[in-house]
Amino acid sequence: MDWTNNTQFFTYIGIIFSSIGATLILSIASFIIATAIALLLSFIEIFGPRNLVKAVEWYVKIVRGIPLILALFIFYYGLPRAGFPLPPLYSAILGIALVDSAYQEQLFRGAIESVSERQVEAAYSIGLTHWGTFRYIIFPQAFRIAIPGWINEFSIVLKDSSIAYAIGVVEVFTQAVHIAQVIADYLKPLLIVSLVYLCICYPLSCVSNRFHRKLLEMGMIGG
Amino acid sequence: MADYILVVEDLWKFYGREAVLKNVSFTVRRGETKVIIGPSGAGKSTLLRCINLLVKPDRGRIILDGDIITGRKDVHSIRSQIGFVFQHFNLFNHLTAIDNVLLGLVKVKKLPREEAMRKAEEALLSVGITEDLWRKYPVQLSGGQQQRVAIARAIAMDPKIILFDEPTSALDPELIWEVLNVMERLSRNGMTMIVVTHELGFAVKVAHEVMFMDGGTIVERGSPEQILLSPKNERIRRFMERMWYLYSLDIQSRAV
Repeated sequence: MDWTNNTQFFTYIGIIFSSIGATLILSIASFIIATAIALLLSFIEIFGPRNLVKAVEWYVKIVRGIPLILALFIFYYGLPRAGFPLPPLYSAILGIALVDSAYQEQLFRGAIESVSERQVEAAYSIGLTHWGTFRYIIFPQAFRIAIPGWINEFSIVLKDSSIAYAIGVVEVFTQAVHIAQVIADYLKPLLIVSLVYLCICYPLSCVSNRFHRKLLEMGMIGG
Repeated sequence: MADYILVVEDLWKFYGREAVLKNVSFTVRRGETKVIIGPSGAGKSTLLRCINLLVKPDRGRIILDGDIITGRKDVHSIRSQIGFVFQHFNLFNHLTAIDNVLLGLVKVKKLPREEAMRKAEEALLSVGITEDLWRKYPVQLSGGQQQRVAIARAIAMDPKIILFDEPTSALDPELIWEVLNVMERLSRNGMTMIVVTHELGFAVKVAHEVMFMDGGTIVERGSPEQILLSPKNERIRRFMERMWYLYSLDIQSRAV
C-alpha cells in the first residue's frame, strides 16, 4: 500500500480527521476537571488555614514532579490492581487532569496574587468586607489576568493529550501513527497531524495574545 | 467635644522596633480642612492609614463623631464613613468611571439601584466629570480625571471626613490645578478634610490649620501663615525655605 492517488490520500486524511473529536473530548474533559481542581486548590492556598495551605503546596510539588506518561500509567495499569479498572480514555482524562491541575493551580494563585495591593486598599477604603473585596475586585481582576495563561494552558493540554497514545486511546495522533504503520510512511501522516494541532493552537495563541494586550492596556498587569 | 468630628489621642504605631508614629494627638472640627506637611518618612501616610484603619495603630484612641473606632470589630462599616483619596488614584481598573463610584453605594451602602445612580451622577458632576466620561475605563482617562473620579467615589458615600494622601503628587503640573480646584470647592462647601500635600499654595488658601510632621510626631501646628511663613522650629524653617525656593516664591514677599 502506498499513498499515491488522491482517493487514498483523502481516505487517510478522513480517518485522521475523524479522530479530532476524540482528541478534543480528551483534552477538554481533562482541562475542565483540572480547572475545577485548580480553582479549589488555589482558593485554599490563598484563603485557607495553614495546614491545608501546606497540603496544597505539597500536592503541587509532588504532582509537578510526576511525568505525564507515568500519571497515565498509574491510572491505566496501576488502578486495576487496586480494584478500579478504568478504560483507556478515562485513565487518560484523569491522568492529564491530575498533572495539569498542579500547573493551573499555580496559574490561578499567581493571578489572584498579582491583583495590585492598591486595588485591595481602595476596596477596603470604601468599606467593602474581605469577602466583598474578593467578590467584586480581586476575583473579577484575577479572572481577567488568568485568561491568557489559561488559554495557553489549554494548548499545552491539547498537545499533551497525544501521550494517551501510550495507553491505546484512539485520538488524532494515535490514528496518524496507525496509518503511518499501515502505509509504511511516517512523514505524511505525521505532518498532517502536526497541521491539525497547529490549526487549533495557533488561533488560541492569537486569542490569548489579544487578551494579554488588553490587560496591559487596562493597566491590570505589568506595572 | 460635640463639634469635633475626629479626635486622635496619643496614637503610636511601630514597625518592628521603630516607632513611625509617636504620641500623635489632634482634633478636627466639623467642616475643617487640615493640611499636614512634612518630609517623606515623617509618618504622614501612616497617620492617615491609621485613621481609616487600613493600618492598625498599636496604641492610642481614635474617636470619630463620638465613637471610639480603635479596637472595633466592624472596621468595614467605619471605613465606609471615611473617604480616602490615594496618591495613585487606585481606581478599580476593571470598572468604568461611574461603576467605580457606584460600587460602594450599591454593595456597601446597599442603596437601591436608582438612588445609587442618582448619587453617583451627582458626585461625578460635582467634580466636573461630565456624562461623556462616565462609561470610560480608568486607563482612558487622564490622571487629573482619574483623581477626580476617585474624589467622587469618596464623596458619593457621604463620608464624615475625607482623607487625602498626597492626591496630586502623581500628577503632571498641568493636571494638579484641576484636582486642587475640586478640593478647594469641597472645602468651601463644608466637607471635613485632612490633606497630606506639598502644595503650599493650596495650604495657604484653603487650610484652617497646618500641621508639620517629622519623625513620627507633630512638630508644630498653627495657621497656614504661621507654619509656612514664620515657623518657630528651625527644622521647619529649613524645610519651608526649600519648598518656597522650589515654588519660586520669595518668603519675604509672602507676608500676609
